[in-house]
Amino acid sequence: MSAPARSQLEELGLSATCAEVLHHLWDYLDDQITPAGAERLRAHIAACKQCQQYEDYQECFLRAVAGLRQELGAPESLRERLAERLKGQGCGCWNKVRREP
Amino acid sequence: MTADAGPVARSASDVARDAAFERDALPWLDDVYRFALSLTREESDADDVVQETFLRAYRSWHTFIPGTDCRRWLFTICRNVFLRSRERQRPTVDLEDGEQDAVAASSVYEAARERGYDDIFARLDLAPALREALDELAEPFRSAVILVDVEDMSYESAAEVMGVPIGTVRSRLFRGRRLLQEKLVTVAEDLGFQGAGAR
Repeated sequence: MSAPARSQLEELGLSATCAEVLHHLWDYLDDQITPAGAERLRAHIAACKQCQQYEDYQECFLRAVAGLRQELGAPESLRERLAERLKGQGCGCWNKVRREP
Repeated sequence: MTADAGPVARSASDVARDAAFERDALPWLDDVYRFALSLTREESDADDVVQETFLRAYRSWHTFIPGTDCRRWLFTICRNVFLRSRERQRPTVDLEDGEQDAVAASSVYEAARERGYDDIFARLDLAPALREALDELAEPFRSAVILVDVEDMSYESAAEVMGVPIGTVRSRLFRGRRLLQEKLVTVAEDLGFQGAGAR
């Protein structure tokens, strides 16, 4: 870390490892970090209330976005149209596109 | 089929291909539809994209490697069909890396905290606003968020679907997340949400 960056962090009251959390929290939550890096972040977050709160906030955000996954199914009309087009292509399993009754 | 003969006998390879297509590709129809709808944001357009996706998949079934991730393969075709269905492609955005957005997100968090919006994402009444914000998110950030955060794909799978390096997925994903968070704080303010306790 450069000297100017370090003094800026000190000015903000942040330790060097709080800065690492800011930079790498998403990598950590996405499992895109080395095991050693994950352990380093985990240990710091466990000891730092500010970073715990930030982690909670980001985890909540990711849960909310994941919750947008609507359990939508392809409409029957689409299945019918696709079945006919696959049949036209000579596909032998065209009737399997339709949902089983 | 001729007038005085039965149906043309299917070859053994055709039968095997159809069986494999039925087993490996058709089960993903609902997932592909959901993904297509996320991209097009319009049911009739999604309908067209899905049909074209499966027709292309069937015609090029010989290029699918058995045992590999068929859902990912179909999503790749689907996204390419979607991009081609538009008259022009949006310019590709090259981002340096995602860390600037990761750090910038902490500023968004601080702004949210000051307004008492620490728990903003836990509020069920914000879900429609979050969906709308995602629908309005610009490409290519929207695809990255949909694939990784909504459809729970790995960076690697998303990279293959989007046809970009993993690092590009990461930077687009982080930008998309940061933009969504900024939007939600603004929405909460505009709606006059009462925070848990503004600081």
